[in-house]
Amino acid sequence: MFCLETYLQESEDYEVLISRAGFKDCAKVIDENAPEVIHVKAGEKILGARIIGIPPVPVGINENKGTILFPYTKPCYGTAVVEIPVGKEEISKVRELNID
Amino acid sequence: MKKALILLGCPESPSQTPMAVYVTHKFKQMGYEVTTASTPSAMKLLEVGDPEGYYIENKIDIDSCINELEDGMFDVLVGFIHKDAAVSYFVTFNSILNTPSIAIIFEKDMEKLEDFQNMVAESTNATIVSARAYHNPTPLRVRFDKAVKKLNESGKI
Repeated sequence: MFCLETYLQESEDYEVLISRAGFKDCAKVIDENAPEVIHVKAGEKILGARIIGIPPVPVGINENKGTILFPYTKPCYGTAVVEIPVGKEEISKVRELNID
Repeated sequence: MKKALILLGCPESPSQTPMAVYVTHKFKQMGYEVTTASTPSAMKLLEVGDPEGYYIENKIDIDSCINELEDGMFDVLVGFIHKDAAVSYFVTFNSILNTPSIAIIFEKDMEKLEDFQNMVAESTNATIVSARAYHNPTPLRVRFDKAVKKLNESGKI
């Protein structure tokens, strides 16, 4: 089963667009950097992990690059925005979570 | 038996650990089975202060437990908030559990305190207990007691 935590620890093909930030700043970074932005409920599962945030939680989709951008929060380190490569199937799954 | 979940944030504020013990004690007195979700560092502080596990009996890791959480799994959620990340965690736990909740918000900086209060108020129906606090947990304890009394009398918890 895919584990986002392990993936972020062991892979190098993802990008961190902002880190140790507040949620609102991270939401802005997603809005500014993703060609397509959908919004999901807090706690929705993406790539098998629950998304932590203040709803509506933005998730960016870059279909050309095959990536998604989402907020990643840790209690002592604040929120980061992570852009990771995903398959087309995963992008479709993410779009289905859209509450807009 | 009713179940309460206590959600702890980053342990860098001194008020959190004694208040976590107090909140656990309070809910146990009210007949709740209490579970504490926290980071390993926040749990270590509790374990040193409560070596026999007299107060803190059920412990879970904040990040690994979130995937297992489901609607209605707990009867009440109490969250400690003194950082932006803690607002996100509290709102998310509240959204998943869909249960009566209390947000204990504390910060030295008045602007941040108000910001956290507004973020919680805009995204949840939680009862907010807040105070400009850092070292001294007494204002929080007094306001928490009043909030619990009110929620108890209204039958919400």
